[in-house]
Amino acid sequence: MRESQIMFLQYMTGLLILVFGSFHFLLISVLSPSPQKVLYIYSGINASHILVGGTLYYTWVKAVYSSLIWGSVFELLLTFLVYHVFNGFRVILSEIIPGGRAEKAITYILFIAGLIVFIWGTRTVVIGLGGGF
Amino acid sequence: MEQLILKDFGEVVKTVTFRVRRYDPEKDDAPRYEEYRVPVQKGMTVLDGILYIKEHIDHTLSARYSCRMGICGSCGMIINGKERLACQTQILELGKDLIKVDPMGNYEVVKDLVPDLSKLFRNHQNVKPFIIRDEEEPKGEYLQTPGQRERYAMFTDCILCGLCLSACPTSASDELYLGPQALAQGFRYIADNRDLGFEERLNVLDSKHGVWRCHFSGACSEVCPKGVDPALAIQLLRQVMTTNVFVRFKQKGTETGPERKSVSGVS
Repeated sequence: MRESQIMFLQYMTGLLILVFGSFHFLLISVLSPSPQKVLYIYSGINASHILVGGTLYYTWVKAVYSSLIWGSVFELLLTFLVYHVFNGFRVILSEIIPGGRAEKAITYILFIAGLIVFIWGTRTVVIGLGGGF
Repeated sequence: MEQLILKDFGEVVKTVTFRVRRYDPEKDDAPRYEEYRVPVQKGMTVLDGILYIKEHIDHTLSARYSCRMGICGSCGMIINGKERLACQTQILELGKDLIKVDPMGNYEVVKDLVPDLSKLFRNHQNVKPFIIRDEEEPKGEYLQTPGQRERYAMFTDCILCGLCLSACPTSASDELYLGPQALAQGFRYIADNRDLGFEERLNVLDSKHGVWRCHFSGACSEVCPKGVDPALAIQLLRQVMTTNVFVRFKQKGTETGPERKSVSGVS
């Protein structure tokens, strides 16, 4: 691939991370099915609180991860993040250690590291889709 | 003594201190700074000050210069922390009593204020800074309208002084980076309607250490003594490269005009 193609994808994934990341945070903060999403119950005089509803509620998290739509959003977000992060590292490191075998080694190592993170993340998404948490 | 030396050139306005970085890689272990007191007259440039030091105080000080009028681009150096041409920098306009002079950054030092510009010239050469055409021998003039020339006119003003590369933060960390000068010249020829060399330059400009490594700090444009804006050229070059991802950038190449003979009759 030409560097222009690689960098075009870098900028595009940056934008898409913004879009899909926003969905992700909307999911956590606003899109909860429960009106109690930010409700905390203060128990006793020591004011410790217990989460009783909201997007971080276990059953809701499980429901979200089981949804094919949200699962796809997470998988896409993961793909964009892995590309953007590891290519970003490659760019930074190739400037610090330019040229020769070191630069090639950096590219291969980061590619493999990115692949491992992607496979591991996909595994989590797939397990979530199967309701297996 | 100072009065005697400078009497033909006008009144000495004040005396300033030049703090000059001295380093001879063949003799010295590390660079050091030496200070010289220089009498200043109105209109005196930093280059004049350096030449005064060389003539009257320390003959061993080395600096590169030639035209003394901001055309040749030989006397680039870092003056009070900023890349400038020494011949274009008036001492009184700096408004300081201490003038710190360093050789340009991002280059090896030959001696004192003389940088080794090999990297600059090598990068310049790599972008093929000339019109590339298919035909071996031009049969006539390559036609160009004033508007077509305007697309790249600013970038023809580059005098290869190397100040932009010295100021570039990417060049400081990435020694293989082409640098603003070479990239601007790459754009200058790609934007030229007479040129057909886009594909030939692509491997260099669109490489791992080419146009995409610019962080757009804009330092190159800030220091250019000729008002060239290399940062703009880099952005325009990126525009061409990005478009080329989808639609292959094709240069048409201007047509040649009628065949002409020289005044002497020899074609």
